[in-house]
Amino acid sequence: METADPQFPVGAACRIDSRSPWRQIAEIPVALDPEGVAVDVARRRAFVACSRSDLVSVIDLESHEVIAEIATGSEPIDMILDEPSGRVITADAHSDQVSVIDAATLTLEAQVPVGLYPSGMTHNAAERRLYVGNSLGSTMSVLDLDTLETIATVEAEPGAGAIGVDPSRRLVVCVNFVAASANFFHADTHEQLARIDLGTGTCAIGIVPERGEAFIANSIAGTVSRVDLDSFEVVEEIRTGQAPVGLTVGPNHDRVYVTNRGAGTLSVLGVEDGVEWAQIPVGEGPGGVTVDPYDNRILVANAGSQTLSIVEDLLAAKPPAPVVEPVSPLIGQRLPEFALTDYWTGERRSSREWAEKKYILNFFASW
Amino acid sequence: MLVDIWEGTDPRPEVERFCDMWGIKGPILLDETGEYARLLGVRGVPTNVVVDSDGIVRAFGAARLDELERAIDDVTGS
Repeated sequence: METADPQFPVGAACRIDSRSPWRQIAEIPVALDPEGVAVDVARRRAFVACSRSDLVSVIDLESHEVIAEIATGSEPIDMILDEPSGRVITADAHSDQVSVIDAATLTLEAQVPVGLYPSGMTHNAAERRLYVGNSLGSTMSVLDLDTLETIATVEAEPGAGAIGVDPSRRLVVCVNFVAASANFFHADTHEQLARIDLGTGTCAIGIVPERGEAFIANSIAGTVSRVDLDSFEVVEEIRTGQAPVGLTVGPNHDRVYVTNRGAGTLSVLGVEDGVEWAQIPVGEGPGGVTVDPYDNRILVANAGSQTLSIVEDLLAAKPPAPVVEPVSPLIGQRLPEFALTDYWTGERRSSREWAEKKYILNFFASW
Repeated sequence: MLVDIWEGTDPRPEVERFCDMWGIKGPILLDETGEYARLLGVRGVPTNVVVDSDGIVRAFGAARLDELERAIDDVTGS
């Protein structure tokens, strides 16, 4: 056995003695632009919404192999798995609908219209409710999880997407990417109780109900907002890695996992201290994230590398050493020469054209 | 300038859609295989690489607006 690294707490509270606070289990190729991810605990399967392939990849969590691909509507982004009904549901952004998949037979069961460009969703299995954020419609659809009928369409704001639910407070929270805001609705009446402004690029939410707090990722601002669900106020801004876009609450509610699309990492944020405990390397351009309740492994959909990462967080508590983001070895060095095709003209353009000029290369993807 | 990466398919229609949506008109280069991004160690998007007039990389990453503004100030001497 390796000697434990004194930088990291180990012992009874730690799952293994290790020099590293995390372990990479697998990186599994899936279809194009994977975004949402969900786990079927009973069948040991993961479902990954591959938005540019218009399908869901199904992965066996024991063999780490793709065992099926299920066609959905156009551009499935977010997804949920409803255990009581055994259904996987995707938000098909370009089809303005949700697709309903039988998780047992892996077949498409139904497609249900919602608002314009549905891009985020969550559910409350106990109360049989599905909530869908419609980005272009600026609305939130509320559906019955059994009948799949729309119960209500609630006005939200531009870029409505990710949604969180706090049943104990009878709250549904819709976060709006374009408006950089959140709307708080009563779960029974759907009446808006409050709204707040957030950081730019608001796009993911997780709730810790026993603390009365929501954690909301602001991708462009590069922060996670801690929001008090009783006073509806932002009480803290927590800095994460570059471009946080995905977020889920850890199983013990002592930490929040945040995917950093700009860094290819997964941040571990302490719920109590609001400190970034670690950044775990995953695939390129990570987005959707969830925790497998069976073994607490973290599943991350990587839109850039078109893979699903499975990693283990081995931290028992906050490590003494703060997170230091690695500095690129390119800084202070000459930029390697490039010769790339110009999108507008089709001509090859080289770095020599920009010699003696100051400029910025902004690497981007359209998804 | 913008460098498009990781589309996983023909990038042209995707870039066209993206430019229409956001009103982008500036120079766009296509790194279709992602080879150049890999050479530079790009791990995510957006990644900004700030280059000075000697061709030296002065900042890398800088996805947050405040970081990018600081990097630009640094390279322009403002």
